This record gives sequence, structure tokens and C-alpha cells, in this order.
Amino acid sequence: MNIDLASAVGVTIGLLPEVVLTIFGLVVLLLVSWRHDGVGDLRLAGWVSLVGMLASLAALTWLWVWEARPMNGPNMIVLDDFRFAAAALILIAGIATVLLSLTYLEREGILAPEYFVLLVLATVGMLFLAGADDMMVLFLGLEVMSVAVYVLAGFQRGSAFSAEAALKYFLIGAFASAFLLYGIALVYGATGSTSLAVAGAAFNRGPLPLMGALGLAFVLIGFGFKVAAAPFHMWTPDVYDGAPTPVTGFMATGVKVAAFAALTRVLVGTFGAAGDTWHPIVAALAVFSMVIGNLVALAQPTIKRMLAYSSIAHAGYLLAALVTGSTLGVTAVLVYLLAYVLTSLAAFGLLAVLGREGERDVSLGSIAGLARRRPWVAAGLSACMLSLLGFPGTLGFIGKWMILLSLVGQGHFMIAVIVVLASLVSAGYYLPVIMSAYMRPEAADSSHSEIVVSRPVAGTLALAVLLIVVLGVWPTPAIETAMASAGSLYDGIVAGVHHALR
Amino acid sequence: MLLGPSLALSATLFTIGVVGVVIRRNAIVLFMCIELMLNAVNLTFVALSQYHGLSGQIMVFFVMTVAAAEAAVGLAIILAVFRHRQSVDLQNINLLRG
Repeated sequence: MNIDLASAVGVTIGLLPEVVLTIFGLVVLLLVSWRHDGVGDLRLAGWVSLVGMLASLAALTWLWVWEARPMNGPNMIVLDDFRFAAAALILIAGIATVLLSLTYLEREGILAPEYFVLLVLATVGMLFLAGADDMMVLFLGLEVMSVAVYVLAGFQRGSAFSAEAALKYFLIGAFASAFLLYGIALVYGATGSTSLAVAGAAFNRGPLPLMGALGLAFVLIGFGFKVAAAPFHMWTPDVYDGAPTPVTGFMATGVKVAAFAALTRVLVGTFGAAGDTWHPIVAALAVFSMVIGNLVALAQPTIKRMLAYSSIAHAGYLLAALVTGSTLGVTAVLVYLLAYVLTSLAAFGLLAVLGREGERDVSLGSIAGLARRRPWVAAGLSACMLSLLGFPGTLGFIGKWMILLSLVGQGHFMIAVIVVLASLVSAGYYLPVIMSAYMRPEAADSSHSEIVVSRPVAGTLALAVLLIVVLGVWPTPAIETAMASAGSLYDGIVAGVHHALR
Repeated sequence: MLLGPSLALSATLFTIGVVGVVIRRNAIVLFMCIELMLNAVNLTFVALSQYHGLSGQIMVFFVMTVAAAEAAVGLAIILAVFRHRQSVDLQNINLLRG
């Protein structure tokens, strides 16, 4: 199905998932300004948001199945399978976050239904960020996402930790946005266009001009902050630690997917011809993130901070897959993102379940004996830890395997070795969680008795863990979809350059 | 005309903003420095748009809108922190240690 993105109807069809979700976001906003009190209104806002996200996912699937492609170019948005795959991951993260938040907000006494408005609008921003083919759309998507997530991070108004997390995230996020924007300005100066495709075509013509190289550096710094790659990671543990746990899960997954989708498109598409310039930089960022994330995670007293540092390490693995810039590398990014989204959401969801008087304090000691009292919770937690570790039989292993495959295929043996060593080190903090849950006795007979797993939370967590295991054993559909999406990204780039040159 | 000086000025302003964010400790001052960075970029866009057409100037409008939205949210967050800590100095805001 070819869509004419120069016409209003074409743009509406091409942006159908975003349009549907925006409409639902505004409907929820109207709803909560009218019905604002108590648990019932909170639930209503949550369920309407969920319907909106499912409707958006349906629209997305429709575009994906009918193979929507642009008729001409250059355009403001892309239509390729890579965008659809990234958008599907973002919507999965959004849907899971809504389901995990419903009972969490009631338990923590955060009875403000605006939470769901912000969640939906942040998701809209992410979809735009992942689907941008022009740096204006990219910047606006990034900001719509970021501004909503700043507020979400500070949503627990009674908690000083939450407010502090919001302040840190806001200051660092706005700082990073300014860097990214300066990068955009310099690329615009070097090529005369804000379109990713046109700028890419201009860079194809010769060696990277100085202004373009500076633009690349600033864009990488901006994205480095957003994906929490070392050495731009110092905000991550504090913000992930202080934010409400479902929001942490959303930040760790949705924001990362959207930022990585945009980063992949910018690096492979616009700076594809300048690979020699950015390959070593991205490799250095990847190695830094893997080493720092894994080593510091070893020393963390609480599980939430441990997961925060481990998310830095995972950004490192993803950047390692990007280093190759090949189709296989982009495939690995998508497969790893799928594994990371499912596992991380489940891990933070379980953490929210485990924390009764504040999940910030859940440590190895406080989950001792969990397996005897709560076998299913312990089993889910173990599956998540094994998947984050990259243990065979889980989706995390498939993701790491694809990354190694892409690295070795392009001759990056050193980085491949570092990925393996970093994963070995990460066993030092993932396995103690399982050991504590299964091998240590509980502190008292009443331990873990007050853990309540509500039905939406249990369903979401069970489905995520099931997918981690099933796709870990039978990964063919995930890998084939990712491969087709990565191929579609490259086809789209070639077509974009072709349109730009005409 | 005057492309070189304009770009040099905006680069200087951007650098002043970055240095301010790095060395100052007051949340409000940090926020002002970030605004300075954004406006330095705006100047770059306007200067470049003489050569590359209108899209640079259109971008400036978006950046200003976004900066206004960020200011609203940012000041609200700073207020929320002030209610808890009676201070907007980042040296006093250290419950969470990186």
C-alpha cells in the first residue's frame, strides 16, 4: 500500500496510530478534568487509556500488515517496518505500564488520574520520535515524551525522593535536549535541510564536513544522555531509584526503545556514509557503558538501584550492536530491545509487587525465603534475572546471541569479547537475587504474607514471563520479524536518498 | 551576511550555558543556563536560515514553544522540591546519591 504523504489524507493514514492515541489522550484529559476523585475515577482513566493504546496498536498492525510505504519523498515521517516494529515495542511498554500502574497507584495512595493522561501523551511522543524522518519531528517527539516523563518521575508528590528524581531528570534531560538541538542546527547548517533523508544524501556526496562532524558529536551526546549510556549516565541511578516503580519501568523500556529507534535511524540513515567517523565513538560508548554499568551494579545495596545500573549496561549491549551499522546489527538491536522491554517491565513490575512500604528498600535480605512463601513470584523473578543475564533458554540469550553474531560477522572481535565478559560479571549481581529467594530462610513466619498480586498485574507479569521463555526456546518469529524490519529500514534509506537526489 | 560572527556568538552563548550548568548549584540558575543554551541554538538556526531557506526559522518557533512548555513543567518541579527541602540549592538536595 503506497501512501501519498504530501496530502492531508495520506498523512492522517500514515500517522493513524499516533492520531488515535492523541485523540484518546485528549479524551482521558477531558474525562479526568470532569471526574477527578477517588479510586473509581482512577480506574476509569486507566481503562480508557488502555483501550486507546490497544486501538493504536490495532491501527499500527493494520499499517504493518498492508505494508504501508511512502509514495514520494522527502517526508516528515517514515513508513517502514522498522518504525512499526519500534512503535509496537513502545505500545507494549505503554500497555504493560498502564496495567501495572492501576493497583500500584491505589496502594500508594496516588489518587490522581492525570497520571494516565501523561502516560498516554508520553507514549505519543515516543511514537513520533521513533517515526520521525525530519529533525523537527524528531525534536518535537523527543520533547513531548520528555516533558511528560519529567512529571511522571515526580508523580509521588508526598515523597521527597520522587520530587528529587524529577528535578534531576528534568535538569539533565533539558540539558541533553539542548545538546541534541545544537547538533540538529549544525547538521542543518552543513546540509541545508532538516530532513534526515536529504541530509543523508548530502553527506553521501563527499567526506563529512567539519560542521557535520560537530553536529554528529552533539547529536551523539544528546542521545547518550537519553539512552543512559556511560559517561552520560550519572543521572540514571538516582532518577530510576526515586521515581515510582511502574514509571521507572516505563522510563527504562519505552524511552530507551524510542531513543534507540531514532538513534539507529540517524546513524545508519543520515550518517551512513560517515560510518568511519562514528563507529569508534559508538564502540567507546558501548564499552564504557558495559564496564561501568556492570561493575557498579555489583556494589548496589538495593535491587532497584541494581536494576538501574544494569539498565546502563544494557544500553551498552545495544550500542555494541549498533557499532556494526549492518542489517544484522539493526536486527540484533530490535531483538535485544524486545527481550529488554519484556524482561525489564516484568522485573520492575515484580519489584513493585514486592515493595510494601516503599520498593526503594527491597534488598537481597528482604526477599529471602520468597520461593517457599510465594513460589510463583519467585519463579517470575528468577526468569527475569536469567533473561537479563542472557541465560540460554530465555529471550535475553537470543538477544545477546544476535549481538555477538553481528559483531563477529563484521570482525569486531574485541567488542564481542567484552560483551561476553560483561555478561559474566553481571552474573555476580543477577544470580544472588535467585539464590536469596530460593536458598535463604525467611526472616519470620509472617514474611511475604502481605504480598498482594492483583489480577491485571498477575496477568501482565505472567504473559511477559511466558513470552520471555517461549520466545527464548522458539525465537524464529521474533528474529524473522526483526530481520524484515531491519531490511525495510535500509530499503527506506535507499529510497529516501533516491527521492532527495531527484 | 555576518554568518561567521553570528555562529561564533551563538557558540559562545552555548558554551556559557554549558559552563553555567556544570559549575552552578542553584536549580533556578541551572534552568536559566539551559534556556540560554536553547536560545543560542535559536540564534544558530536564524543565522543559517539566511542561506538555507525558511525551515531554520520555522524550527525556532517550535523550539520557543517547547522551551515554554519545559519552563512550566520545570518551575513546577522546582516548586515541588522546594516544598520538601525548603531550598533549591542542589547541594542540599542529596537524598539520592549517584
